[in-house]
Amino acid sequence: MNAIETIDLTKRYGKRLAVDRLNLTVGKGEVFGFLGPNGAGKTTTIAMLLGLVRPTKGQAIVLGHDVQREPALALRRVGAMIEAPAFYPYLSGADNLRVLARAGGIPAARVKEVLETVELNDRARDKVATYSQGMKQRLAIAAALLPDPELIMLDEPTNGLDPAGTVEIRNLIRSLAAGGRTILLCSHLLHEVEQLCNRVAILKEGKLIAAGEVATLLRRGQGVRLRVQGNPEPAVHLLRTLPWVSGVTVQEEAIIIDAPVERAAEINALLIRADIVVAEIGANHSSLEEFFLTVTRTE
Amino acid sequence: MDTRTMFTNLLAAEWLKISRRPMALLLLGIFLFLTFLQQTLWFLVVALQEGTFSGGQVTFNLLSPAAIEQIKRQLSLPGVFGAMLSAINGTGGILAIILTAGIFGSDFNWGTLRILLTRAPHRGAYLLAKLVALQLALLVAIIITLAMGTLLALLFGTILGLPQQIGIIDLLLLPIGILRALIVMLPYTLIAGASAIVGRSVIAGVGGGLIFLAFDVSAGSLNTIGAVDPMIRALVNLLLQPNINRLVVENSRMFGLDQSVLTAALDLSLLPPQWQALIVIAVYSAIFGYSAYRTLNRQDIGGAN
Repeated sequence: MNAIETIDLTKRYGKRLAVDRLNLTVGKGEVFGFLGPNGAGKTTTIAMLLGLVRPTKGQAIVLGHDVQREPALALRRVGAMIEAPAFYPYLSGADNLRVLARAGGIPAARVKEVLETVELNDRARDKVATYSQGMKQRLAIAAALLPDPELIMLDEPTNGLDPAGTVEIRNLIRSLAAGGRTILLCSHLLHEVEQLCNRVAILKEGKLIAAGEVATLLRRGQGVRLRVQGNPEPAVHLLRTLPWVSGVTVQEEAIIIDAPVERAAEINALLIRADIVVAEIGANHSSLEEFFLTVTRTE
Repeated sequence: MDTRTMFTNLLAAEWLKISRRPMALLLLGIFLFLTFLQQTLWFLVVALQEGTFSGGQVTFNLLSPAAIEQIKRQLSLPGVFGAMLSAINGTGGILAIILTAGIFGSDFNWGTLRILLTRAPHRGAYLLAKLVALQLALLVAIIITLAMGTLLALLFGTILGLPQQIGIIDLLLLPIGILRALIVMLPYTLIAGASAIVGRSVIAGVGGGLIFLAFDVSAGSLNTIGAVDPMIRALVNLLLQPNINRLVVENSRMFGLDQSVLTAALDLSLLPPQWQALIVIAVYSAIFGYSAYRTLNRQDIGGAN
């Protein structure tokens, strides 16, 4: 059973299509990155998965239950943090969690446990209105952990955190994932996603434009990188004539070739035969950030 | 988790929120202060008219003897119960609208609604829990007001030499009076809650509640022309205000007061019977409550406003 499954999930606001026939599956125990530019439909999708936004069409299934038909069963063991943290400013951090614990029928003892997990015990009795953005962020994660969730949806969990706080939250997500929990992570910090996630999906204008294992997607963005002695133009000209090369660019004296890395030796031999001296050749490793920018620009 | 359990859980959560809410305490403080001023004013009027401060040497003719007699009853036991319940349904009603708008609207303003609904996703249970928690808060406020009013009545009544007689029947009637006071406030709190949900904010709730109240009070004053024509009276009595007035008058009469001495609109001969009042209030409450539920149930819940 998948932790999340969407079938042709669609949300239309008037003429604007926020999410367009989204088919997505997140397996149990996965750390899944959900990416996309601002306004791509990520938060709307999460809101539909949480039963907060009604789909125009399609189905959202969470932990085996249809969110629209059986919301209580679907969300029983789901923790979520959506957009900016939202709390009652006149209540303390602990009381805010008590409100949520009572609402969800969760034992009050969990409040102390999750406050310890996010290291907010010292300020638990202070009013949330006095909290910094980072503390509110941590409290929101504590709120998401309250139901001892099987599935956690985190929308920009490190927003407003300092570098140390970001590392703490990253480690926390890692430890949650290590415990077998499924995590759906939305973040603009793509190196964070690259480090944490097994699989990602990229959304643009409500449509799914790429999905798969992080390693596979990065291989898709890989190519061959080489340097030649002297003027690179003859080499560029030669490489562009090859049928299996889909693109050649020059970046800071390096030639980047859109071609399988396995062809590197072949490229080297061709250039030598053309009396071009290759000074350096190897795989061009692309980051998730580069891949993301490429697909969101071109698709 | 079934809906009933979800409702009980949500009620506990809502009670925690209301009982710690500074706005609720502030509004209660304002109401108690206004009630204190009102009782003090009544005391001063009677004291000046009867020359209490000068041992009868200097008296002022401020009100008619019938009105003074009425005010004296309002400062004595058990009449003070009727007077306090009447104040609760007057000034208290306006403050209840503000409190309701705050309770319903702030979950939209702060964006906390989406967190609550992911924990307990039955929107009907959420709405009902909020409403019941609000009624409990109003009940506590009514009890505190009655206690303060009684203490002040004992103090002022002793100074004025008024008889204080309270029987077991009066105490038994008190819960009925409190229930009537809650029923009187119900449609106004529901329209404020519905407005807050439709407008997704506290300000929409306050605006909707107060505009309806102003309209209702203005339209309700038409009942004086009901004396001219029974048909007109029957129509006007389908408005909320005359029916509300009927229950307020019933509460006063139950504790020996006659409000029509001070307010012509509370003349019992022009008001609808109590059974009609209860039905009309129930119908208005059902319409407002259902509107709130239907709107919330169809809404997409976003972030903070």
